[in-house]
Amino acid sequence: MNFAQQLINGLVLGHAYALIAIGWTVLLGVARLVNFGHGQMYMLGAFVTWFVMAKTGLPYLVAIPLSMTVGVAVGYLMQRTMLQLTIKQDLVSVMIVTLGFGHVLEGAAALFFGSTGQILDTPLSLSNIYIADIWITWQDIAIILVTVVFFAGLKYVIEKTELGRLIRMVAEDPKLAALAGIDIQKIYLGVFAFEGAAVALAASLVAPRTPILTSMGFNEVIITFVVVVLGGIGSVAGSYMAGIGLGLFTAFFGAYVSAAYSTAAMFIVLIIVLVIRPGGLATRPGGH
Amino acid sequence: MSSKPTPSSLGTKPGSPVLEVRGLTVDYAGNRALDMNSFILAEGELAGVVGANGAGKSTFVNGLLGWSRGTPRINGKVFLNGHAISSLSTHERVRQGLLLVPESDLVFATMTVEENLAHCTDQRHSGDRRIYSIQEIYELFPNLAERRRHLGGQLSGGERQMLGIARALRLAPRVLLLDEPSIGLAPRLVSVVLETVRKLVDQGLSVLLVEQNVKAAIRVVDRLVLLDRGHVVASGTADEMRDDPRLAEAYLGAGA
Repeated sequence: MNFAQQLINGLVLGHAYALIAIGWTVLLGVARLVNFGHGQMYMLGAFVTWFVMAKTGLPYLVAIPLSMTVGVAVGYLMQRTMLQLTIKQDLVSVMIVTLGFGHVLEGAAALFFGSTGQILDTPLSLSNIYIADIWITWQDIAIILVTVVFFAGLKYVIEKTELGRLIRMVAEDPKLAALAGIDIQKIYLGVFAFEGAAVALAASLVAPRTPILTSMGFNEVIITFVVVVLGGIGSVAGSYMAGIGLGLFTAFFGAYVSAAYSTAAMFIVLIIVLVIRPGGLATRPGGH
Repeated sequence: MSSKPTPSSLGTKPGSPVLEVRGLTVDYAGNRALDMNSFILAEGELAGVVGANGAGKSTFVNGLLGWSRGTPRINGKVFLNGHAISSLSTHERVRQGLLLVPESDLVFATMTVEENLAHCTDQRHSGDRRIYSIQEIYELFPNLAERRRHLGGQLSGGERQMLGIARALRLAPRVLLLDEPSIGLAPRLVSVVLETVRKLVDQGLSVLLVEQNVKAAIRVVDRLVLLDRGHVVASGTADEMRDDPRLAEAYLGAGA
């Protein structure tokens, strides 16, 4: 495997990581919440996309918004269930509830979709491009393009728009935001719905790269966790950089050292970064 | 002393009740922090709420909004302009025109002055309530105009108070609740802030001013309410209260 191919692989993988993590980044940045059901929501997004295409024959471009709609519903439902915990910022309970929610999703998905692996083929994933001896699919190109547009759009919304300003107010100080007339429950629900949509979009785009299993959620939540923590909790630009860094690291480590240990190596990187820069987990802008 | 009585501080208030409280209680973990049988703020009135530390002053104004940094149990009825608002959540009460500038953490530290002053509630629902324009805010608080691109966290204590009040004015207040705006300010700034508050009241705003600094407060208020252990123990016009022994006992002490 040549260097250029690994570089491309790393960039595609990195954008995929960043895209998978974006919902959680916003969730942490705005609501200071974790969602350990994130990986199972990713899995669900992938299976809904697969189901729509394989069972109903609808095109990929219809399957994606349908999958996102299911994601919104799941995110909303999850947050609705634990709204009081969110408002009290009872993080331990939120962690346990989301972990439980993830397992319920996994069980329900196995029941509904069956526990055998599936292949999510899309028109883009089946069309290859060869440039010299570098191989890439249109799916990979779509992942990079969508991720770049999504991150740029999100950064714009958060920094430049009215909605973004309200979101930042709630992120900094939800109590003070209520005194400014902001309905913080609505913002929390909206952020969870956004997370559901974002992770479903990520799943629709990224899952075609590998076989999909109803049990794949855990691995995805681990990767997301690493990206979000490395990027600096809640930082949109940081998550993007961390995703790409992690993608390149995984690709090169896998190619030149051992693919079997790349997840373990990822965590070693995480530990080193946290030791050097402990602010990663601990500090939040304007936190109380 | 600059205590020349303004027309509205002569004791008799023509205004109708704009804020009314009936049986407001606030409990923290079973301990009663506030037990207020009845309280009325008249339209266009500046009422000062004074009392020693722990008398329940902040608890009172926070309780009016059903708001707290902690998790108290709040009961009782609050009426704003004749409408019961006690069943509304905090942000809904704010949108009805009940605005609070809390004692601490009163500005968004990671946002610029301009962003702090941009709008949150839908202006169309403010009815007859006045929304101060950005220009009016900057005329009222020239410091803020100079610092408009600075972050809230970079402001001095006095500027934060001004920004807190200014943000409330942008949200079309019917009643403004100020929780110790003079805290930590230099004496000159205390006068500036309190005289600005007086000016706002003279322009028609109704204000409930919680103050630790009685001497400064008594110069600007129409009426003073003395709290002790969560109860109203004395109430009267600024002139009546100036000589009230209970006030002296609570605060002014021997050296005053």
